[in-house]
Amino acid sequence: MPEYKSVTISKGRGGWGGPLTITPTDERPLVYSVTGGGIHPVAARIAELTGGQAFDGFKSSAPFDKIAVAVIDCGGTARVGVYPMKKVMTVDVHATSPSGPLASFIKEDIFVSGVGVADVVEK
Amino acid sequence: MTAPEVTVEEEVLYSSTVTAVGEQVGMFVGDHGILVLFGADSPAELHEFSAIHEATVASAGPRPGDVVELGSTRIPVLAVGSVVEANLVNLGHIDFKANGSTEADMPGDCNLPVGSLVLPQPGDTFRILRPAGPVATPEDPS
Repeated sequence: MPEYKSVTISKGRGGWGGPLTITPTDERPLVYSVTGGGIHPVAARIAELTGGQAFDGFKSSAPFDKIAVAVIDCGGTARVGVYPMKKVMTVDVHATSPSGPLASFIKEDIFVSGVGVADVVEK
Repeated sequence: MTAPEVTVEEEVLYSSTVTAVGEQVGMFVGDHGILVLFGADSPAELHEFSAIHEATVASAGPRPGDVVELGSTRIPVLAVGSVVEANLVNLGHIDFKANGSTEADMPGDCNLPVGSLVLPQPGDTFRILRPAGPVATPEDPS
């Protein structure tokens, strides 16, 4: 069985929300990258430090209850709200703040934005 | 029938066909003036509030002054955020906001005039067109 570690993810320049502590588990092992161009470096870093499994959401789909954290490159309207609405911890690599029709679901304890690789640190 | 005397040539930057329209799309367009599109490869959880489409041309994103064509409706582009082109070309994703603003608040915003959005239907074309101006100068350094 893999042994999982925790990371703390803080907002980056111009970002909003967080910090979030992410600890994958056997039930929720996936670091779910819903980004263009494959697994985003931020998702790869989270997976590397935690022992979670990096997963490309544009290649195949995963059940929400398997996701430890979703990494998105959302410009502020859709993906920023969907994953928080589904109670999935959400990391946006772009510096967005709550907006869009789903803004009410975007809270500091479930969402952090403007995140770069250096904003992911071992806890 | 006579053909129009002047045909303005337009460059087709993006050309696609809408294949499905999520059940929340009408609410997004009607209540918020927002239309979200994603390519058919996108995760299923995004389909509920998105118009899904399959592109045949994906060479570039819009810039202000371009035209968004949804079905038979043509809409001028007012402002474009910094990540719009990457999202559109890579993911088939774009967020249209009919807010009338010439400044993009969020990096993914593509702003259109207030009230200009229409609810797309499966089978509609979705294109981005760049008008060829009378003094078009592609090498213009600006």
